[in-house]
Amino acid sequence: MSMPKKTDLIQGTLDLLILKTVANGPIHGYGIAQRILVTSKELLQVQQGSLYPALHRLERRGVLKAEWRETGNGPMAKFYSLTAAGRTCLRQEKEQWQRYAGAVAMVLES
Amino acid sequence: MSFFWKRAESELQGEIAHHLHHLAGEYERQGYTREEALRLANREFGGATQVKERCREERRWAWMTGLRQDIVFGRRMMRRNPVVTAAAVISLALGIGANTAIISLMDLVLWRDLPLPNPKQLTLVDWKGHGFPQELADSASGSMRPAGGWDVADFFSYPAFEHMRKGVGALASVVAFTHPDQVSVSFAGRPTVARERSVSGNFFSTLEVRPQYGRLLSDDDDTYAAPAVAVVSHSFWAHALGMDPAAVGRAITIDNHTYVIAGVLEPGFYGLSPGDATEVYTPMHHASFLRDGSLGVRATLENNRDWGMQLLARRSRGVEDAGLQPALDVLFRATWTQSPKNPGAAPRISLDEGRRGLGLLRQQFRNPLLVLGGLVTLLLVIACVNIANLLMARANARQKELAMRISLGCGRVRLMRQLLTESAMLAILGGIASIGIAWATATLLGQFLVGFETVPIAFVLDWRTIAIVGAVGTAALLVFGLFPAWQASRRLDASWLKLRAGSVGVVSRQGWNSGRWFVTFQMALSLILVMAAVIFTRNLVAIQSSDPGFDRRNLILFDMRPGTSGYDKSRLPQFYFNLEQRLAATPGVFDAGLASMRPMNIGGWWETVRLAGQLNRYGVSVNAVTASYLPLYTSRMIAGRNFTRADLTSSPSVAIISEDLALKMGGNNVVGRRLAIVGGPPGRKPPEYEVVGIAPAIAATSIKERPYVLWLPFPCDTPQATVVLRTSQPAQMVLPAIRKAVKEIDNNLPMVDTTTMEEQIAKGLQRERMFATLCNGFGVLALVLSVVGLYGVISYRASQRRGEIGVRLALGARPRDVVSLILREGLGMAVLGVVLGVPFLWLGGRYLQKELTNMKALDPGSLFLGLSVLLLATLLAAGLPALRASMLDPAETLRQE
Repeated sequence: MSMPKKTDLIQGTLDLLILKTVANGPIHGYGIAQRILVTSKELLQVQQGSLYPALHRLERRGVLKAEWRETGNGPMAKFYSLTAAGRTCLRQEKEQWQRYAGAVAMVLES
Repeated sequence: MSFFWKRAESELQGEIAHHLHHLAGEYERQGYTREEALRLANREFGGATQVKERCREERRWAWMTGLRQDIVFGRRMMRRNPVVTAAAVISLALGIGANTAIISLMDLVLWRDLPLPNPKQLTLVDWKGHGFPQELADSASGSMRPAGGWDVADFFSYPAFEHMRKGVGALASVVAFTHPDQVSVSFAGRPTVARERSVSGNFFSTLEVRPQYGRLLSDDDDTYAAPAVAVVSHSFWAHALGMDPAAVGRAITIDNHTYVIAGVLEPGFYGLSPGDATEVYTPMHHASFLRDGSLGVRATLENNRDWGMQLLARRSRGVEDAGLQPALDVLFRATWTQSPKNPGAAPRISLDEGRRGLGLLRQQFRNPLLVLGGLVTLLLVIACVNIANLLMARANARQKELAMRISLGCGRVRLMRQLLTESAMLAILGGIASIGIAWATATLLGQFLVGFETVPIAFVLDWRTIAIVGAVGTAALLVFGLFPAWQASRRLDASWLKLRAGSVGVVSRQGWNSGRWFVTFQMALSLILVMAAVIFTRNLVAIQSSDPGFDRRNLILFDMRPGTSGYDKSRLPQFYFNLEQRLAATPGVFDAGLASMRPMNIGGWWETVRLAGQLNRYGVSVNAVTASYLPLYTSRMIAGRNFTRADLTSSPSVAIISEDLALKMGGNNVVGRRLAIVGGPPGRKPPEYEVVGIAPAIAATSIKERPYVLWLPFPCDTPQATVVLRTSQPAQMVLPAIRKAVKEIDNNLPMVDTTTMEEQIAKGLQRERMFATLCNGFGVLALVLSVVGLYGVISYRASQRRGEIGVRLALGARPRDVVSLILREGLGMAVLGVVLGVPFLWLGGRYLQKELTNMKALDPGSLFLGLSVLLLATLLAAGLPALRASMLDPAETLRQE
């Protein structure tokens, strides 16, 4: 079957996207991948092979916390949400990204 | 840990299952069947195992759970390859164990400080001069050794000690002590023999030794008037006083004199050097040997021409040897009876580092220990090479497995860690086993290394040494354990896996050539160790089998000390006469003789003699013997006559000389001429003897040397004697009757140091035997390790060439041809190793030569023997795989291709 054309993530942005997605409220791994796909208008495809290790890494760093919950339509799922440290981390990463993206844009448009 | 591990695993499983569930639902909504949707979901998700593994690595406790897995897996690998595991563990254990033992011993004898507080403050007080100071001293007891153009001596008169001790003031505390003496001791009615040292009253307080029970000696004990007290060592208290703390305060008899036991020394104090083993300490003013000496205690201690005290000083804080030496020198000179004619050659104080105690043992065993240290290091290198070889071979065999694991999702770091864990497990096992080996080697060594007499050195394994040597072996283990992981991760991809999975014939092209070089290197090192074993064994055999000039079988010797057990001078002649007669009449005994010096005991009585009317002087070993002594060894005299009983009782000055000395002096006409002992104190007439006989030259002091011998008549009032018996039957058959006879003469007199002549001769060869035994041990170990290595390489290569061999056999090669094909390869490595080893051998040979008494290190006989041993080992190691290869079924191997 034919898949819509998707862009691979720029190195280092996965953590930021996860943090931003999780900031909207508790969400499970599949949901994160889906939401990134949807909100990017199907342009950003998160590789499952990277998603789960990244989730576990962020959980270990203490920026994400996880709990098991019933889902409406299926088995138990692990829901991730931001910790206080995670919110700070998100703000910093976001500022950093915006500075970076703005800088790249300035260079490209000059 | 395992609970968390399981929970985390099931959570991970659930999380992935959940994701797949959603993905599959997505596809189902697009119209796929349930099965197809699941398949597509799985495909989209990718390798679930890899994702899981990467998640595990991110987890907090991952390294701990991983370690558990590594260990479990490592144990499985070890069990699967028990031979390789055992070989690696044994190599490591032997290498580390033997090294630990030798290095501990070197540390103890050569480097370690005395177990006393502030040992750096201790300094040995010697004097240096040129020869014996005849102007200043009449007699001396101690040692003199040449050093840097001077003669360094360690003996002083007691007045010199007293003067220095008082005069040196606050600079240092000086103590005096005598050389230890064997004495008869009796406690609670049980007679025994002990080593006694007499010390000045400040000895223990200066050394800062503490008592275990009671008290130690003080200056108040060291006067004529004080009651006689003694201090005993902890080991003497343990084996002779029944470990009874109440022994303190009880009486002990030392050579007929009664002392009160004042205290027991702490167990850590072994004396003034390792191997000192002094058991009883008495105050100088109650020295038992001085009391029985010809002059008595008072006359000796007040005589500043009798130099028999050894000195040691503890410098005060801030005082250096350079500051102490001039002060002592002035004090020393002030006690001389006259000023020497040549002041430049007169004795002057020479101080030497005393932190490690008296230096005799150090001087004696320095070279042998360094040689052994060098050899045992080679052994460690061989062991490490072996481990490297085994691990490389194993890694090679596992390359397919490693590739498989990487392609199944095992992280590279994780793979390295797995191999590291396996190596570490080997290291730990080897380390544990090495402690046992070290202990066994140390026990063996302790028996060889003897101090002044036959006292084994107090010897403990040093844990620091085990740690150092263990670190070397472990480092080798880790490096060579990790190498394959690095190699594997370097070139791992699917195409490589495919290549590996193919024909075995292809693999041999690129695999494991380093193994051949390892084995060649091992062979080169083994050559050196095997040659050392051959050389030292031949040396020992040559010495042992050299002809002493008499029949050494059926001779028994023991000491009797009637003079120290109640007999005074007037009763001694009758006692000795009875003893000789009674023993000669004992069934099984041909004859009995007495001597004042124990034969084959490295002499002990040396003089310089000159024939009247001649100028030439000759150094001789002297022994005073009874009329029946010489006939025990030899049935005839070369010229003249033997001693008679009348010579002994009427004591005319007669002497017998050995044949070689007579030849030097002018042949048989020496009989009847007069012989003078020269070099005695000036002003006295040198003793002269009439030569009445010439005896055949026999080894009298040791089988290693053949000095000229002067025989004098046995002085019948001497306090102790060695009895020598010629028996008609082996010793153990006759000994009970001899013991009974001695008991009948005097029930209270012990037979001391009873041995056969063969044992007595062997005792003098302990150093040679130590070398031979240890080098044989090292040589055998080196061979075993090398044979294992060679066997491993040859059988590996033979298995790689199965295809080729199968083709050869199918085309009509005979099994014999296959055997020679494989053998040639093994021999090739061995020959190359020997060729590489020869330069080292040549260098090592010159190094070993110092330890050989009278043979060349590298003579053709030894080379032939050593090379034959290596050849045999090579044939053994290569022969087995060769035979196995020759019995291959061609059809079977070709089918496997």
